[in-house]
Amino acid sequence: MKKFAALAAVSTIALGAHAVQAEPLKIGIIESLSGAQTSSGRLYATAVQYGVDKINAAGGFNGEDVQVIEYDNAGGSTGAADKFKQAVADGVNIVIQGASSAIAGQITEDVRKHNLRNPGKEILFINVGAEAMELTGDKCQFYHFRFTTTAPMRVNAMTSAMKEAGDLGTRVYSINQNYSWGQDVQAAINAAAEKGGYEVVDEVLHDVNKIQDFAPFVARIKAANPDSVITGNWSNDLLLLMKATGDAGLDVTFGTAYLDQPGNIANAGETALGHYIANNYDNTAGDASFAEEYKAASGHYPLFVEPQTIFAVGALSQALEGVDFAGGDIDVSKIALALEDVTYETPVGPIAVRKEDHQTIRPVVVSRVVENARYPADDTSMGFEAVKVVPGEQAIYPVQDSCDMKRPG
Amino acid sequence: MEFVIISALNGVTYGLLLFMVSAGLTLIFGMMGVLNFAHASFYMLGAYIAYAVSSYFGFWTGLIVAPVIVGIVGMLVERYLLPRVHAHGHAHELLLTFGLAMIIEELIKLFFGDFPVNYQMPDNLRFAAFTVFGTDYPFYRLFIGATAITMFALLWFLLARTRIGIVVRAAERLPAMAEALGHNIPVVFMGVFGVGAALAGLAGAVAGAFYPTNPNMGLELGVIVFVVVVVGGLGSLKGSLLASLLIGLFSSYSVGLDWSLAGLFGLVGLGDWAQSIGGLMTLELSSVSATIPFALMLIVLLVRPAGLMGERN
Amino acid sequence: MTNMRNILLIAAVLVALVAVPPFLGLGWQNALVNILIASLFALAFNLLSGQAGLLSFGHAAYFGMGAFATLHLMLAIEDGLSFPTPLLPLAGAAMGLLIGVVAGFFATMRSGVYFALVTLAIAELFHSLTPHLQGFFGGESGISSMRMPWQGFVFGTVLEVYYLTLFWVVLSVMALWAYTRTPFGRLTLALRDNEQRVRFLGYNAHTSKVIIFAVSAMFSGVAGGLQAISNETANYALFSSHISAQVVLQTFVGGATIFFGPVVGAVSFTLFAYLVSDLTRSWLFYQGLIFVLVMLFAPTGIGGVVQHHLRNVRRDDWLLLAGPYALAATGGVLIAGAVIYLTETVAVLFGEEYAVQIRNAEGSLPAYEMFGAWWEPFGIATWLVPVVLLAAGGAILVKSRGNILKCWEKMGREVGEGAHEPAAPGVAK
Repeated sequence: MKKFAALAAVSTIALGAHAVQAEPLKIGIIESLSGAQTSSGRLYATAVQYGVDKINAAGGFNGEDVQVIEYDNAGGSTGAADKFKQAVADGVNIVIQGASSAIAGQITEDVRKHNLRNPGKEILFINVGAEAMELTGDKCQFYHFRFTTTAPMRVNAMTSAMKEAGDLGTRVYSINQNYSWGQDVQAAINAAAEKGGYEVVDEVLHDVNKIQDFAPFVARIKAANPDSVITGNWSNDLLLLMKATGDAGLDVTFGTAYLDQPGNIANAGETALGHYIANNYDNTAGDASFAEEYKAASGHYPLFVEPQTIFAVGALSQALEGVDFAGGDIDVSKIALALEDVTYETPVGPIAVRKEDHQTIRPVVVSRVVENARYPADDTSMGFEAVKVVPGEQAIYPVQDSCDMKRPG
Repeated sequence: MEFVIISALNGVTYGLLLFMVSAGLTLIFGMMGVLNFAHASFYMLGAYIAYAVSSYFGFWTGLIVAPVIVGIVGMLVERYLLPRVHAHGHAHELLLTFGLAMIIEELIKLFFGDFPVNYQMPDNLRFAAFTVFGTDYPFYRLFIGATAITMFALLWFLLARTRIGIVVRAAERLPAMAEALGHNIPVVFMGVFGVGAALAGLAGAVAGAFYPTNPNMGLELGVIVFVVVVVGGLGSLKGSLLASLLIGLFSSYSVGLDWSLAGLFGLVGLGDWAQSIGGLMTLELSSVSATIPFALMLIVLLVRPAGLMGERN
Repeated sequence: MTNMRNILLIAAVLVALVAVPPFLGLGWQNALVNILIASLFALAFNLLSGQAGLLSFGHAAYFGMGAFATLHLMLAIEDGLSFPTPLLPLAGAAMGLLIGVVAGFFATMRSGVYFALVTLAIAELFHSLTPHLQGFFGGESGISSMRMPWQGFVFGTVLEVYYLTLFWVVLSVMALWAYTRTPFGRLTLALRDNEQRVRFLGYNAHTSKVIIFAVSAMFSGVAGGLQAISNETANYALFSSHISAQVVLQTFVGGATIFFGPVVGAVSFTLFAYLVSDLTRSWLFYQGLIFVLVMLFAPTGIGGVVQHHLRNVRRDDWLLLAGPYALAATGGVLIAGAVIYLTETVAVLFGEEYAVQIRNAEGSLPAYEMFGAWWEPFGIATWLVPVVLLAAGGAILVKSRGNILKCWEKMGREVGEGAHEPAAPGVAK
């Protein structure tokens, strides 16, 4: 029951704020720890804790252990707004969040307003999973860093890898969830058409995680006669879509972004074989020592959103090495400036922050579901096998025009 | 043509699934006047129990055990919980079952976690029943449909053609008289509630192997099922069958149609004007197909407030 | 006498609400803002569900629309519209009223359980449609704005927001209280108790219900507006069934039959969430359990039980009751301890982290840590703890129940959790 200890720690901090000599760096995780999206939320929290444990094992920061406080946003942006205020009250310096772009949008706005109103007591937001383009577009700001990919990065990498493997074909179907992420993916699929040498035969946007029966959509896909289907769908929407396609006996290759969500492979079964995913990392790509080391600490190989989260904390750790507050007040702006200059080596290649919009330039790994995998997923014999690692410089896209970042000072 | 036929087939099976879940709800409401808010939770419970049982004893055992257990849970609720609040009116019965729904959902999360569980149909049911226009039609869809139709036939037969049905209907109309004639009314009601719950459990056990089994499945389906009973007319078995099929077909067809209000205005030459307004005007039907049942419900309320087959208020 | 006491009590609460917050930490100030908003929302909801007997499962729709309207006004102020920031909740009120009239017109076509289902579906309609309407609702990420300074008030600190919220909540609560005193307020109760008779008296029941619905939606809109001001953002998740469910829970746990009952529920649940939600993952389960227990054993809610005692128990009776009540409380605590123990044990044993440990231990079940101690899954102590707690708690409760019954008999008054209170909101079939 780490929670009880953490809460006890928090309350003692709140009570004895003046008694502390060295100021510890406090990281707040505002995630869905109850409600529908709990499973992803927990993975983010576990991964952050793992990264921070490493920092603390190496001596912590500012003369103290780095503290991690978990906040349950109950899966909604209202809860997130509320818990952000609590985090401010607890004196959190850095907020980490990943699941849901809507919640990230809320937090980045809250951080922006907080920093406007409280100069000198800024808060840094490290986004480890929210991929909406607007976060580095309309809403882009100096105190937000995105340590994950975005739709164009995933789609570009995926189409190029699938094309090389001969699985893309010339007729691509785009089916996505009707909200910013899905729309971003759809736009990216259209944008990549020329380079990928394909035609988008039809595009559909549908309700998010509300559809029980995807058979009608499969009928529509069938009518368009595509070679491959590219989708940014996640959770139920991906699972149901793939199952319905399998049941209809439709022979298409799927290019996905979230096929590695725990439970998906087991649930989809044989249907999943041969389909693709573009993600931040895969255990079969690059050096295996990272995966083994993580397994030794946590009991399982890194999966789903954990690697990108660990990399983000790793990059933060590297940035912290370059700043020194001599045990005094922590100035988050200095940490942010240091983070801008970090190049973090991951097993699949370097990650660096693009200063103009704080999107990370990072490699994208495209992998395919195979039988008898080296790292089996969900206790099945299937798993992912990397087919291509697209280096960061190739995967990245130009800074969005809408980004108007005000730098401190 | 291809689209029309395939969508019709899909719509009918989805509609029949909706009916399977709403049948128990309708039965309980029609007989006892209790709206069981936890009904969709019984559906979810059925799927999870079938999953847990089938991973040890096989699919068919799960299919039999799940409705039995859910039915027993239902009877316990009717016997020990509902009477306590009965004196405070139907609102409190509704509130009690609403609270039960929350508890069931959280209990399932506690035991099975938040991820979808891997509940699968057996391999020997995983084949194509037939092929239309080059698309395989899964046998399991027919199985779901057949289960629903059997359920409807059995229920109708039981209620309309057997002695049990007469007693149950008597118990509903004139409980005091039925009791005076020597029928054990509390047991009859307990039985009705149990059967209703078991039907939801069976629906969950059958459908959970086809659709994903996760802790949100109750909530997701529950709202649609409530729409079904409002559209069909609460308490009317025929009404809920009709409404289920209607909503199934609407959902199925709307997916393939890129219609929008702007397009409608375009027919009379106001297309550009409507496009410029945006918002509701340019929403495509396919992207809001999940909204259609609710819109349908509002229309039915306006035109026929008692529901398609319901008796007057 | 009681009147005087009530007035003094209310005045004391008000003084405390004004004077204490500056000395509290940020976390508590923020929790108080949430409590105030939840209280107003629950009171507005109760106007419809408790007083008019129309049980709504979709009040999130009016709360949410109020929030969006307020936020659009905030955006307009940001763009230079000169409108005093403190009057922002008026936008929420107007929008709530408008949507309330339309939705109320549909919903009140039916009564009883139909009404409940229709309100639920209307809220779902909002929830599924709004993320697609980019212009007004800002897609799934919603819209956000910033509180603009007005007449020297910056509205930058939580404390300023708190006082603004307090002002509006007190004003609205007074208006809602006054409403119950008007003839129309009486008609509201009559609609609940006997709609037929209301009709025979020549009132148009449908129109009256629409008006009540709209008023309730209007104050829900104010609550939503206050939340928009506090969070400076609104998002389609405001329409989710979770929000509608919370207000139902709070109102009925607090007690729907008395005016301030919902406030009791809102305060306790919001505090509960504030204190417990980061402590255990099962807090929604506990919430549901509390709700069901209250429905079963105290259908008039906490407020109803308190009121029952205030009315029926004289000062010297307390001496008699204190002993058995303390005993009952002890039993309750023991049973609660057992339930919490079992729930958390299940949460650990069936949790993902433990599954990993089992895999690492190659099938055998390792010991686990809970409440700062280590437990063996097959240890005798592990299962003796809840059994002993349950048995002891159960025995004590049964015993004290008998004692309490005797005490009430001795006092010569009827027991029961407010059995003689006005009929609970009865939904006619």
